[in-house]
Amino acid sequence: MDVQGLRPVYLRGPRLYLRAMVEADKEHGGAWLDETFPVNAGRAGKALEEEHRGPIRRVQRRLAIALADGDPVVGSVEITSRDGHRTCQASFSMAPWREDADALRAEALGLLVHWLRDESELMVVTVGVAADQPETIAAAEAAGMVRGARLREWFGRAGGRVDCLIYEALNPRWEVRDA
Amino acid sequence: MRDPVIAGERVYLRPAEATDAEVMAAIDAAETDTFMWRARVPTSPLEHAHWIAEMYEQQPPRHLWLAVCLVEGDRLIGHVGIVDIDWVHRTAETGSVLGPAEVRGQGYGTEAKHLLLEYCFDRLNFHVLVSHVDEPNTRSAAALAKQGYRPAGRLRWTDVKDGRYVDSLVFDLTRADWVAARDAWRARGRG
Repeated sequence: MDVQGLRPVYLRGPRLYLRAMVEADKEHGGAWLDETFPVNAGRAGKALEEEHRGPIRRVQRRLAIALADGDPVVGSVEITSRDGHRTCQASFSMAPWREDADALRAEALGLLVHWLRDESELMVVTVGVAADQPETIAAAEAAGMVRGARLREWFGRAGGRVDCLIYEALNPRWEVRDA
Repeated sequence: MRDPVIAGERVYLRPAEATDAEVMAAIDAAETDTFMWRARVPTSPLEHAHWIAEMYEQQPPRHLWLAVCLVEGDRLIGHVGIVDIDWVHRTAETGSVLGPAEVRGQGYGTEAKHLLLEYCFDRLNFHVLVSHVDEPNTRSAAALAKQGYRPAGRLRWTDVKDGRYVDSLVFDLTRADWVAARDAWRARGRG
């Protein structure tokens, strides 16, 4: 399938863009589906089917993160809301073979926060970032996100562990209303 | 005891079974507490049965709730569980729901939570657990502190209470924290 037509005009950055998932994405599930064990095309296809059963404006949505140059999928972000569309949590899964995963995630996060907070007017957008992902942390802070919590030793790494920093984008329009 | 996963002196934990569904719906119908919940909801045994069946479909599970039963008489009085399990990083979020009002305040919940933590750290080999408490719930926050959890931060505007947005207090618990708290709890005579 030609995915060129699925590039949203409002979710494009210098290097990458976010788009809806398509059936052909099952062929490279390892790039975007972070499960406990590696997935094949069959499992990735089943996950896609399950994730797209709900209504169009469902409270859980995964977007592919694709490079503008050549359209390869390099990750995904899953947006989940537990209260309809007032707040949401974003979880990134990046292709494990990309050495520039931190930079790609950082660019995607900037696009995502602007879209969800400023355009979709969500009250809070939350994301957990590993403490050893400096570019993503810098992008979160550049987007006006503030750190709400630090979970100690949350992520395992070869030979050690790192903390999880939970950042929140608080919508200033809501903040004024609540004051 | 019926198929216990882990047992204490007064309560034990076992897998949730389809036959629990009617009891769970009855517990919800008998709820007298309006403090813990944003709104009480009449639930059907059908949805509890579906929830129980669905929980065991995925292996390894992403969420796992265990039934809390009294050792004496096997009565089901609630659930403790772990959600958003990450089997690679060995992390999860803990939660608990203790049933009818008359069983609260007797130490059953504390004992059940200690059993859950023992199961998580000693059998599943988890490294860190997280728990959330809605801001005004000082009772739950105090219980977490006694179990060894430490304050990790505050997430804003997570829910609504009395017409105001309230925050969620975040607590984390490493295995080392838990071992120290468990030993202190045992030294106090499990009170």
